[in-house]
Amino acid sequence: MMEKLSENIMDKVSIDFLRDQVLKNAYGNDDTPIAQLDPRVLLLWYLFFALVPWFLNDVVVLMGMFVLTAITTRLARVAPLVLFVFALGVFSQTGYMFVASLLFGGDMSTLAPLLVLTLKVATVSLASITVFSGLDPDKLSNGLLWFGCPERLSFSISFAYRILPILMEEMQNILLSYRMRGRAPEHDTFGGKVRWVIYQVKTIVQSFYPLMLNTAKRSRTTVEALELKGYRYAATNMKVLKIKLSSLHAGRREAVFAFVSAAWVACCFACPAALEVLL
Amino acid sequence: MSAVTLEDVTFTYPGAAAPTLRNVCLDVPEGDFLAIMGANGCGKSTLCKTMNGLIPQFIVGDLTGTITVGGIDAATAQIGELARKIGYVYQDFENQLVRPTVLDEASFSCLNYAYDDYIERGMRALDLCGLSDRAESYIWQLSGGQKHLLALAGAIALEPGVIVLDEPVAQLDPYHAQKTYEVLRDLNENHGKTIIVIEHHTDFIAKYCKSAALMRNGTIAWTLPAHEALQQLEDLEASDVHPPQIALAGRELKHAGALPQRAPLPTTVEEGFAAFSGIPFIPPADRAGSDEGADRTADAGGSSLSADPIVRFRNVSVSYRSVKGAPRRVFEGLDLDIQRGEKIALVGSNGAGKSTLMKLLYGLIKPQAGEILLDGAPTRGMGPDELSEKLSLVYQNPEQMFIKDSIRADIEFAMRARGVDDAAARTDELLGRFRLTELADHDGRLMSGGQMRRASLAIGIALNPPVLLLDEPTANLDIGTRQEITRLIADLRGVTDTVVIATHDMQLVCQFADRIIVLCDGEIIGDGTPDEIFMNADVVERSGIRPPEIFAMGQALDCSAACYTLDAFLGCFPAWQKMKEHGVAGERAGAPSFSPSSTRARYAHEYEEGDAA
Amino acid sequence: MSTYAERGATQSQKLMVFVLSMSLYGLATLISELIPSVQIGIVELSVEFFLFIPLTLAMLFDPLSAALGAATGELVFSEIMLGQFGGLGELEKFLTVTIGVYIAGLMVRDPRNAKQVAIAAITGPAIQLAMSAVVDIVKVQVAVDDFEAVAGLPESVFATEGFAFLNDLCFSGILFCLLPTLFLVPRLYGKIEPLLGCKPRTPENDAAPTLSGRVIAWSAVGFIVAIVVACVSKAGFSIIEWEAEWAESQIAIFTGIGVAAVVALIVAFWARRSAQLRNA
Repeated sequence: MMEKLSENIMDKVSIDFLRDQVLKNAYGNDDTPIAQLDPRVLLLWYLFFALVPWFLNDVVVLMGMFVLTAITTRLARVAPLVLFVFALGVFSQTGYMFVASLLFGGDMSTLAPLLVLTLKVATVSLASITVFSGLDPDKLSNGLLWFGCPERLSFSISFAYRILPILMEEMQNILLSYRMRGRAPEHDTFGGKVRWVIYQVKTIVQSFYPLMLNTAKRSRTTVEALELKGYRYAATNMKVLKIKLSSLHAGRREAVFAFVSAAWVACCFACPAALEVLL
Repeated sequence: MSAVTLEDVTFTYPGAAAPTLRNVCLDVPEGDFLAIMGANGCGKSTLCKTMNGLIPQFIVGDLTGTITVGGIDAATAQIGELARKIGYVYQDFENQLVRPTVLDEASFSCLNYAYDDYIERGMRALDLCGLSDRAESYIWQLSGGQKHLLALAGAIALEPGVIVLDEPVAQLDPYHAQKTYEVLRDLNENHGKTIIVIEHHTDFIAKYCKSAALMRNGTIAWTLPAHEALQQLEDLEASDVHPPQIALAGRELKHAGALPQRAPLPTTVEEGFAAFSGIPFIPPADRAGSDEGADRTADAGGSSLSADPIVRFRNVSVSYRSVKGAPRRVFEGLDLDIQRGEKIALVGSNGAGKSTLMKLLYGLIKPQAGEILLDGAPTRGMGPDELSEKLSLVYQNPEQMFIKDSIRADIEFAMRARGVDDAAARTDELLGRFRLTELADHDGRLMSGGQMRRASLAIGIALNPPVLLLDEPTANLDIGTRQEITRLIADLRGVTDTVVIATHDMQLVCQFADRIIVLCDGEIIGDGTPDEIFMNADVVERSGIRPPEIFAMGQALDCSAACYTLDAFLGCFPAWQKMKEHGVAGERAGAPSFSPSSTRARYAHEYEEGDAA
Repeated sequence: MSTYAERGATQSQKLMVFVLSMSLYGLATLISELIPSVQIGIVELSVEFFLFIPLTLAMLFDPLSAALGAATGELVFSEIMLGQFGGLGELEKFLTVTIGVYIAGLMVRDPRNAKQVAIAAITGPAIQLAMSAVVDIVKVQVAVDDFEAVAGLPESVFATEGFAFLNDLCFSGILFCLLPTLFLVPRLYGKIEPLLGCKPRTPENDAAPTLSGRVIAWSAVGFIVAIVVACVSKAGFSIIEWEAEWAESQIAIFTGIGVAAVVALIVAFWARRSAQLRNA
């Protein structure tokens, strides 16, 4: 597994793929129903779905919320990679605990709380995917700014998308230099495999030496340009903030979205009671 | 009224032993288009950074003297106020772009300075730079030339009166370089902007600038009208600035007595035409031309006989995934054979597919259809080890070649990894060949541009690859260094077997290549010897390649002339030939007392013809 | 932060360090997000493979900017870009990474001193790992209903967290923090600083505050905030339960009041913020 994973990292195709997916995820889906919503409403919506599930313990209600966030995620048309990372995250957050408690003498009674926990984690994650992947980064950072997040963070978000393709190409070229000029150990035997993994890890660590220097060169120009463009001056200016945020507008679309979500959640809460009455 | 005035400015970087700027006095009148010339490291960029307040407001150091920009003192003014007076475009403009989309980037500074109409201002700036149709694009979708124009748009969005550009064309292909200068000229002439460029390319200075200043050792040696400035050949050459080839030709013809001593030296093709058209000019169409041609076709013919080309593209199709919409097709059914031992130049404007072709060869991109055969074996499924036995790529950005902390270690790295016995000895030899012995323990990326290139070439040929790929080996270099690298690459002719160079540098193409492949939108629109390509007006037009200035000059005088070098051009003047034959002594003695050139020239002309017959 | 700006790095140099640290560490975490967590037996190693990047930068430059940059980079690249934003829980990671890297940076007075670098390079991650282990334990304790009642769960959590801490420290701490930092710091020292236009750090020109009681106190405050935040994000259940006991049958009423209060708060904030921006 170790070997496969390093092969994946070393494979430049996957770096290309990664960049592609991240950019697609950020900018490729700005015409979805989710992306057109006001970021402030979405952030509040997210706040609800990020907090409330932790307070709940009813499998049915949680299931209902999970379904809702799954639907919004589908609507946001996020990149497959993001969903893959999501699955990975959910497993590593609760999957390992399940195994661990089984080993420490737990039995099927452990399963129920862990299912609840898994549902909580999944719902919260999907809500975050909907909002953070569904919105395009500029809208998102405007939304965060409105809620008073530091300007540094909102700048970092936009800048990250600007610098990502550049950094990835740089890294790809450096890794390629290692790959073409270096020579990986043979990995047919077990000892060879271990040496091979060590070699790959060492290569990645070492590749940060040139990467750091090259990026340092770049960031100097970037920061000087930022200074000239008055970035630091703007960070403390309320008027700039006002202009920047004047594009935000919450209207009927947002109201509909909020109402549908609220109605769905209310139904979920009512469902167990309704079932009780019916049965 | 002055746009920028520097009085007695001296600046020392913290920790530096000597000042970078010494007692600089410069006065740039409003509406000027000034070029600042000078050797690398003479303080040109530092000078520009004092003008926009980066020095001393962000870069600390020891600054004396006064700098006035648009009537305000640059050292103490609010940076916001100053930004409305002066805009700045970096040489590495790519890093100057900080926002993800085009309009966003152009209007960013206006937004930061709290203009309500920042969008309109951004649009206006884009309009001036001819980018308004790309306003909604993302930056990574732009070509290099467009990125440069965008950086310019960002700088002029605040409507400053002065715009400073650091080596605007260094990273651009000739077509985009010209476009940038056209935009600058428009800004200068129709919008009243004062423009200051740091520039090595004297052909651009001759064509576009109004005045030029020469910097030497941190101080301004002189400021002259551009036309006069370019005639100070000795001064320019002493500062590693290469005067226009046409001016050099003019000087030689003066020595030969074909041009009157008092006449001003021509600096552009038009001036050259006016000056040279009276002098007999006989392109050696049959003689030297056929010689060379025969030479080159013999080369090509010899190798095309071999049944197995070293590289073979068979029906290759490639497309890139795009963020939105359909994938972008680069190649569609591309077929190309490269014979053993060929020296190939791959030309075409940015985005024509040169890099993609290189990456395909190197296995960085896999074709969606078709296959690439390397020495008869398909590259698909070849490991990096196998591939690196067969070919080696020198990146456009040499910094990415340096993975160790000294260039000796970098050169040795590949040989060490393969257990080459005499790795140390061979490294020493390579260091010597590329004049890097002194620098062996330096980190590559901390060296000058030319040194970096030399080191990257040394790394590239360390393993003696049968196929060497060079991506823009002369980009971002001043002309002196460029010629040095061109010479080094030309020297490689004997050392390496097959070489493919992707380049915009037509000087390099002319000096090196036997075969030119012209790419345009992923299609091969021209494939042949330099003569075949450059004489084909249609190909030149479609691909946007620009033959060297001297070639254009020759063409202007006689459309059958194909001279790629100064000597070849001068060789077409019987008068100059004559002087050459008479040697240096004759030239010195004869120069002042030449009789009217026409008779001598006619004599020489007849002599030449007689000889040919 | 601004008190020693005059003596040390200028604000724009700090911004450079921030940008540098953010981009590099962000890229690294983006990649490491795709590495499935390594399992050795039952223990999941939450290896911060690339912590050596901010550690190195914190030792060479202004520690606070490097630390904040790294934490922001991780937040932006691996959480927001991939949509894996865990809400308030991320704040915990943000704070522990910042504190760990910041303290490691402060411990180094002279980057040329290999011993100092080595001690700092292992202490920084140790602090970070210890803090996140504690936070994790508290988190699971409040998140899982009837923590004590689930057979084997408390033991397993303590054991896995404890073991993971030791394992992370010995395995990833040494392999991915100590060794790479020892490799990079001396190589970059004197080379990377001129690229950012500043002087290499020496004991004489060092402007960063010493590792004083104040720094430790602030770090402790940050850590407590991290724990509180982590708990708030997952502890809702117990709070409600407590309220419910207190309110007995009036759950519905109180829930109603709670919802109304939250809505009122949001509306009030919205109105205030809009007014604030309108008047700007």
